[in-house]
Amino acid sequence: MSRLGGDGLHTVFLIARREFITRVRSRVYLVATVVLMVLLAGFIVLQAEVLNKTTTTVTVGFVGASQALAKPLAATSAGGVTIETQLVQSMSSGEDQVRSGDLDALVSGDPSGPKVEYKDQLDSTLASNLTTLVQDVVFRQALTASGVDPATIEAKVAAAGIHPVALDPNAAQQSQRQVVGIFVAALLYIALAGYGSFVATGIVQEKANRIVEILLSTVRPRQLLFGKVVGIGLVGFIQLVLVGAVGLVTVMQTRAITVPAVGVTAVLGGLLWFVLGFVFYALIYAAAGSMVSRQEDVAAVTAPIGILIIASYFVFFWVEANPSNPIGIALSLLPPFAPVLMSARMATGDAQAWQVGLSILLMLAAIGGVNALAARIYSNSVLRVGSRVRLAEAWRGRA
Amino acid sequence: MAGRGLGVQGITKRYGALEAVRDLSFDVRPGEVFGFVGSNGAGKTTTMRVVLGTLTSDAGRVLWDGSPITFEVRRRIGYMPEERGLYPKMRIGEQLVYLAQLHGATQPAAAAAVARWLERFQLKDRARDELQKLSHGNQQRVQLAAALVFEPLMLVLDEPFAGLDPEAVDSMSEVLHEQAQSGIPVIFSSHQLEIVERICDRVGIIQKGRLIANGTIDELRSHGPRQLWVDAPSAPPGWVASIGGVREVRVEGSRVLLELDASADDQTILRAALATGPVREFRANLPSLLDIFREAMTESTAAAVS
Repeated sequence: MSRLGGDGLHTVFLIARREFITRVRSRVYLVATVVLMVLLAGFIVLQAEVLNKTTTTVTVGFVGASQALAKPLAATSAGGVTIETQLVQSMSSGEDQVRSGDLDALVSGDPSGPKVEYKDQLDSTLASNLTTLVQDVVFRQALTASGVDPATIEAKVAAAGIHPVALDPNAAQQSQRQVVGIFVAALLYIALAGYGSFVATGIVQEKANRIVEILLSTVRPRQLLFGKVVGIGLVGFIQLVLVGAVGLVTVMQTRAITVPAVGVTAVLGGLLWFVLGFVFYALIYAAAGSMVSRQEDVAAVTAPIGILIIASYFVFFWVEANPSNPIGIALSLLPPFAPVLMSARMATGDAQAWQVGLSILLMLAAIGGVNALAARIYSNSVLRVGSRVRLAEAWRGRA
Repeated sequence: MAGRGLGVQGITKRYGALEAVRDLSFDVRPGEVFGFVGSNGAGKTTTMRVVLGTLTSDAGRVLWDGSPITFEVRRRIGYMPEERGLYPKMRIGEQLVYLAQLHGATQPAAAAAVARWLERFQLKDRARDELQKLSHGNQQRVQLAAALVFEPLMLVLDEPFAGLDPEAVDSMSEVLHEQAQSGIPVIFSSHQLEIVERICDRVGIIQKGRLIANGTIDELRSHGPRQLWVDAPSAPPGWVASIGGVREVRVEGSRVLLELDASADDQTILRAALATGPVREFRANLPSLLDIFREAMTESTAAAVS
């Protein structure tokens, strides 16, 4: 960048601003951003729904003397099961309601040994809670019969309890973190491959339009290259910020994630790795794009880059399933895979601080190398129109 | 040689085995319109690109006001490439301001210049239209405006007249003249020799990468043989034979085209013609640029053969 000081930076700014404004103003961008935000929010809401759906409601009817059990049974609602009770006038109407599915069970008879009727399957929580209640009734009767006041015993029983100590308190968040990790990996892979190919396409358009000849009569190839990368990168960055913010807000509102810090880390890590990964991949996309002259040829030269990014996404599923595997850790440190793998590992909480630091350092070094390489290939190829420029020619700069 | 304006000195450019331009030198002074003439592939575009700096020559140098041209000067060259190119989906007003800024103009200066040129080309009310919505002729005007909106230090136009209707040719010539009169060098290439002849101060003829002629139209004409059209209806056939150093080249009715060698005197011929009776026409036959071009091409080819 040293050759771009002063006025040179102003030129880069002008080019970046044009890229940014023309792209942000386009209807496609607006629609894509809104669709992404809606999809993400929708998914999170759905996810939260599924989480809440595990609380099932069991409705129990009581007839006659068994009605004494109704209130204590309703009080046993806990965990994922809510027990609702209602009084039923007669056996026959109660049984009809069980058959029709309005009631899950009908309790009748003596509270110390009630009959429980159900359609085809008795809810196990209901069965065990009811059994405990009935045994309690029998226990109290036996105590009273032997002249002991059940209240004193009950007070002692109520005071007794276990002392829970969690040895791995984070394990509960683990599944949430995995989902978040997959999201980060997916968003990053889409954003890197998508915005990267915008860079390649934009360069080929300028070649095909021939405006590149006018541009390069007044700006240096590097200025044009950097301006393009910065402008398009900013467009992608803002889209990710918006989508990330919507994701975070939805997560908080729906309580799809119980620990907000998980979401914040995921979004910040994702943005950091988008910036690093985008600069790295955009430069490669630019070099590849500069070597062809027609829109139809872009796909052929950029496909290998896209495959590299998609591969890191798929590798993540294996890395995530084997969080302590050294191969997975090593892959997440290496520049071509780090943007997707490390950002996702940061979201899942598997990445240790030294790994994050090392991967960032390696990435910065790789960007330096790719920059020199890409700028050279771009400068040598971008004015050459016609058949695809071969890599060796692009490097040497001579036909 | 170290004069004001553009100096091209001994430029050679090779593409692999192909020598596109060989040891090419010429100057264009401020205020001068220099026409670059040659067949396709002669090296005109290559030369222009070397001047602009988008191509690096293998030998030779490009001077500006006597010293090697800098990036800052090159930035302010107004260039119109042979293959026209702008952003089709960008509004023309914004596009021109953007290009002017890239060439170093400040935003207010760029906006003012764009407004002025759009007004001049009667495109003021189209400023917010995308380029692709304009007619071909209007797109050409925008393309020209793109080379002018930053007060260029020099104009380099590759085939600016290609594909223009006669009216557009006139307005293009007018702009080139104005620009030259404002004191900048103007270079353009063209196939249309009659246009070059009409508007250029100086012409360079390029063939196979070499400049085979370079001078004002008058200078180029003076290189060729002197010719005279004489119409003496009463003269007997062969009346010129007696005059020394004169040869009959062509006969059209009563008119003859005479070619004079260095020893011949046109006044002697006139007296001889008057001696035969009335003389209806007596004028120098100035070769057109096309004639000069053909002549130069044949001479240079002959030289290459021998």
